[in-house]
Order: sequence, then structure tokens, then C-alpha cells
Amino acid sequence: MSGRIRTGSARVTLANLTPARNSQHSQKRVGRGQGSGYGGTAGRGANGQNSRTGSKVGPGFTGGQTPLSKRFPKRGFTNQNDKTWAPVNLDRLQHWINQGRLNSSPSKPITARELLLSGCIHDVHDGIKLLGDGAEHLTTPVHITPARASQSAIKAIEGLGGTVYCKYYNNLSLRDCVKGRTDRRAAAPTRREDILWYTSWRNRGYLAKESILRMPVVEERWRQLSEELPKWKEQGFDVKKKK
Amino acid sequence: MADGRKLVGMCSKERRILADSEHITAQSIIKPVYLTLSQLTYPQEGDPAVGARVVELDPTVFNHPIRRDIIHLCVVQYRDSLRQGSANTKTRSEVRGSGRKIRPQKGSGKARLGDGQSPMLRGGGIAFGPKPRDFSTKLPKKVIEMGIRVALSAKLKERRLGVVESLDWPGMKTQHLARRITSLGWHKTLFVTGHPEIPAGLLRSGSNIPNVDFMTVDELNVYDIVYWPRIVLDAAAVDLLGARLSKLTPGVPAGLTPL
Repeated sequence: MSGRIRTGSARVTLANLTPARNSQHSQKRVGRGQGSGYGGTAGRGANGQNSRTGSKVGPGFTGGQTPLSKRFPKRGFTNQNDKTWAPVNLDRLQHWINQGRLNSSPSKPITARELLLSGCIHDVHDGIKLLGDGAEHLTTPVHITPARASQSAIKAIEGLGGTVYCKYYNNLSLRDCVKGRTDRRAAAPTRREDILWYTSWRNRGYLAKESILRMPVVEERWRQLSEELPKWKEQGFDVKKKK
Repeated sequence: MADGRKLVGMCSKERRILADSEHITAQSIIKPVYLTLSQLTYPQEGDPAVGARVVELDPTVFNHPIRRDIIHLCVVQYRDSLRQGSANTKTRSEVRGSGRKIRPQKGSGKARLGDGQSPMLRGGGIAFGPKPRDFSTKLPKKVIEMGIRVALSAKLKERRLGVVESLDWPGMKTQHLARRITSLGWHKTLFVTGHPEIPAGLLRSGSNIPNVDFMTVDELNVYDIVYWPRIVLDAAAVDLLGARLSKLTPGVPAGLTPL
């Protein structure tokens, strides 16, 4: 059996469970007489707006004077296309590999899922960005599929025989990646900036023609996208020649 | 992170410089738990002797500190979910009858009254009575998972947890299984299998035996583990519970991860 037998404490049954100490509070019963401490005015103070039923002034209300939120002009804007990347540096990646918490192969590269589950990052945010800090500590060939990668990181990893291919994720496909779901088709880039970025071999985008040739696992859809997406560059309107 | 130095805690008197040759490795403070394997079927010739085999249990799942408060939370949440919440009464607007004023406002020498459905009157509506509602409460998934760890660990500590290789039962007669359960002393026992279905022979033989029940790991919850005095798992259930609930991080020695 377990080898560690302690005696003295009663066995755990449904009859002897207790909540943690000081975790429970009895309900405050207002308007139930002087002895309760919440008799008379029921904890609402004397007359006035706040003692009435259903009365409540909004947050930030300062008695009728111009509130702080209206006193100063609006400033700045929210960038709808802003992305918050989860940075992963090369020394940290190597440390995780050394501990045996991460491993990779060309056909099974490290993705946001592996990084999150191994605790290398605590939140995937809008995707992983691989950065080149601590490149001198990188010793093993790494195969990784982040959302973005810096030029120095690409150079360091490929110098050791590893591979980096940057894959486009929207919110849904990133969530599917993290949950390990494969039943839904991952979204393709639709914004012009993203199309340009992910079809570029310099960025090791997964839709670049060179990437399609070199990646060990290529979905048929990626091949089609890599052909279709850059077509607009050669296209134009037919201009009638003036006679 | 990158340099090769290792930190060790030592008394100040014993403080010394560590030579490069001295190799320090992290030692696990969590020891695996071993449990003697039981057998549901009668031992046959050629089977290993009873008590000869042990099963290794994940210490983070089966040797968790006993937190009664966590079990309390899980049990209360489970029992809340069982409440029907169908108690219902009629308010004064729902009670049948007309809204006619039942007596003049003044001159009767009696109290002022409006319609006959007033909560004050016999046959009137109920003021602040119960209405159907949902009593279910929520509990974080991680608390529920911890509750299962605690409940299993408590059962093991009380020596009321058994593990068998398989829950397959070859027969289908109730009395044969009942006799075997009696001989094993496994009354008031919950049998839990890690397979998607309860073994057909066991279910067929055992569903009419009092104080014995069968379940799959998917159906198992904290309430069941605490309710049943004895739990018997099959090897698949041990594997499945370990895979789902283990707090061991792959590649990191057990002693370095918090429970």
C-alpha cells in the first residue's frame, strides 16, 4: 500500500467536510431591528438622494460639476490593426530545450501551443514573435513555426541547420492552434500588409514560393494561396490606346 | 540563465567553493507511490501470486495534501447542480379571481381591503414565495481537478483504494460475482474503468448487487469518490487519471514543481 499511514485524523466522508476557515460570511440582514445594527436606516445613512430606493449616482459623478472625464479633450487613438506579440528570445528557447521541456523536428515544429504548454510563454497574445537575443547561446537546430521572426533570429537558427517558417494566425486559428484543434481550416491573410509579409521569403513567410518548396509539411491550400495571392502584382486594367 | 553555475543552499559553516568536478543534480522530493495490485477474477494457475505485483501511482494525483475545504467546495457545487429548483407558488397576480373591491373603503367598521387575492387573506397569493430557479453554482475547473486529486489521495491514505489490472468479468450470473465480491470484502464499492464502456460481463452480473456501482472515469466526480467507502480502479483508469490530472512537468524533476 502507500507505505505512509498517518492515524489520528478522521477519514474524509460527506459528513465531516468543512469550508476553509473565515471563507464564509453570514448574510447581512438590513431593517430587522436595533439589535442587528442595521435597523433604523438600514445602513443607508440619513435622508438624501442615496437613501432612496433605486437611487444611485453614476461612477465619476462629482455632484454636478464638470467631471474629470469631460474636462479634458480626448487624445490619441486605438489602432484597430495593432498586434501584441508574445516575444520569445533564442536563449530562453535554448534553456527550455536543454531542460527537455521543448523538442522539435522538421515535421513537428514548435508552435504557440508547445511554447504555452511548456511554460516558455504565459500568454500567446496575438501570436509568437521569435527574437534574436542571446543568439550566441543557441546550440541545437530548432524547427519552429512562429507568427513572426526577426532577421537576426532567422539567421541564427538557419545557421545551425534549423528552420523558421512564419505562419499567419487570426484570433480563431491561433486559438485552434493552442487547443490542438485541426477540424477547422486556418484563416489565410486578407490584409494587403499581411499578404505581402507572409508571401515574402525574406521573412520566411509560409506562403513564399521558396517556403512551399522547402517545408516538409505543406497543405494543398497553402500551395494554391502562394500562387494566387501575389497575382495582383502583375494584374492591371486594360487601357485603350488613344487613336 | 545561460552560465553554467548552479546554486545550492548550505549552512554558513559548511560554505565552500564548489569544484567543477563536483556535479550537483536536482533530487526529487516527491516519491512515487506504490500500491499492491489486486485481482477481481479468481486467480488461475500461472498467474503471479497475490500481492506480488505493484502499480506505480502518480504522486501528484494520489499523494496530494488532504484539503477538506476543496472537497467541501466540490461537493457543495455538485449538490447545488442536483437541485431541481422547481418549487413554485402563485403571487397575487397569478391567483384566479376578479379585481373587484370586496367591500367599501369606509363605513363597514372593518379593515380596508382591495381585491380578494391579497396575500393577507385566506386564498390569496403568496408574498415572496418560491419561484422556479436555477440553483447551480460555478467552480473553476482547476479547483474541481484538485478536488479529484485530494479525494483520490484521501482514499489511498485511508487504504480504501484498490487497483486491478482489468475489470473484465467472464461470467454473467449475479450470484457468482456477488460471491467473489464478498470473498474480497469489497462491499460498498465503486468500480471505475478507464475504458469508454463498463465491461459488459461486469455490468450484467453486477447491476443488481446492492451497494456496488460501476462508472467510467468520464462520469467520475468528487462526490462519488467521497460518497463510496471503497474505490477500485482498473489500470486504464489509473493511466487516464494520471494523464489528465498530473502536475508533473515533463523534463522537470518532480520536487521542483509546486503541488
